[in-house]
Amino acid sequence: MTGIAVDTVAAGPVAAAIADGVLPGRVWLYTNYHCNLACSYCLTESSPRSARRELAPETMLEVACQARSLGFTGLGVTGGEPFLLPWLPETIIEMASSLPVTVLTNGTLFVGDRLERAAALAGHDVALQISLDSHLPDVNDMARGEDNFVKVVEALPRLIARGVRVRIATTTAGPLDDPRLEPLKRLVASLGVAPDDHLIRPIVRRGRADEQGLGVHARPADIPSELTITADGAFWGSFGPTVRMGRLDTDLLLTRIVLPLSRPAEVLLGLLNGMPAGNDVRLGIR
Amino acid sequence: MVRVELLDAATAPISVQQFFGGGDPGPIVAALANVPEILGPTLGFLGSALGDGAATTRHKEFAILRTSALQGCRYCVQTHSAVALDVGLTEAEVRGLRGELELEATFPDVADQRLLRWIDAMAGATGPVSDEVWNEVRVSFAAHVLVDLSVTIGATMFLNRFATGFELPTSAATLSRLEKEGMQ
Repeated sequence: MTGIAVDTVAAGPVAAAIADGVLPGRVWLYTNYHCNLACSYCLTESSPRSARRELAPETMLEVACQARSLGFTGLGVTGGEPFLLPWLPETIIEMASSLPVTVLTNGTLFVGDRLERAAALAGHDVALQISLDSHLPDVNDMARGEDNFVKVVEALPRLIARGVRVRIATTTAGPLDDPRLEPLKRLVASLGVAPDDHLIRPIVRRGRADEQGLGVHARPADIPSELTITADGAFWGSFGPTVRMGRLDTDLLLTRIVLPLSRPAEVLLGLLNGMPAGNDVRLGIR
Repeated sequence: MVRVELLDAATAPISVQQFFGGGDPGPIVAALANVPEILGPTLGFLGSALGDGAATTRHKEFAILRTSALQGCRYCVQTHSAVALDVGLTEAEVRGLRGELELEATFPDVADQRLLRWIDAMAGATGPVSDEVWNEVRVSFAAHVLVDLSVTIGATMFLNRFATGFELPTSAATLSRLEKEGMQ
């Protein structure tokens, strides 16, 4: 890992709110909305046919730079499937020179040239968070698509062998402490992923999950209020810019303007003022 | 058919929910909410520009309704016909401002006539306002009142283009009211 050289101490209301635990420290970026999969619970109805709605790499780099200046402490990158964008690895590496980056990916594209390009992430403060929902291939693939399980299970050792930090995210329709998740936990550990790097979270009833009646109902206060940047604007939380029946949900929209990042950050901060820190942990959404 | 999604309490952005707490805020707010960061500042400006100010309420409505008629804004003409009646303009005055009756006959007061000629020059034409129109209106109105009304006219022209461009719907209550008055 490359440590982030903290040459300045960010000051200001955003930094103070993060230090006080009122404002989460991570900024999310939706790189794109299209995906090679079409998962049944997808928040954004992403699929190969989805409009791309990409963030430009220049925008992502500027967000990263300004996030650090404001006092944010980390970056998250999600989509769609971010690794469909050929320029992504280089951009992530550059972003990681500002703040640690976690990239959410379905993990199905790490073969051939894409694998070698992703391998360049090793040695930088970057973690890939790959989705895997069951230790049973047919159960996993029912929600995530044919051959998803085998592609992920094959990709994990390849990435780890190349020095890339990998986390696993499991999205479940059941209780987060469901004992039926134990075989999956063992499988994940056997693939070389530390238990602390295995995230288990509920399906949130937004987007396609809402259309299918899946997941937990969440009020805004239940959704971690991480500032989230998309091509459509800035949102309250990475679960904010969801798509339902082809329509972008606007209920958690903060601003259409995303830069300077202080604009949406201050709007978010204004909404959070008066709310107790840690109010968003009730449903375990993360 | 309205050309922009009119957001409601369920779909309105969290950053502007306060504008939807009292029920339907109307199509202008519902449309502006698509860009939440401009909603508050725009409403602040419109409130100042169209609300009470240096000019009388009656003359404010002259500016709003006449400008809307000159700009051909169906939504604003219908909505402000009802507002003008509410603030005490007569049916004939409303019709006059809408261009349905001859202005001088409808507004015999010389000051009113001077003001309406100035509004027509401001909102119904391009290029300079003639010295003749300006010198006449200045006889009856202080400069600061005309500054106030010029902002009203400008704000109205913005709303005219906004409502026309997006084909905002007139409320059922307003249409019903105007139908009863025979001036839909």
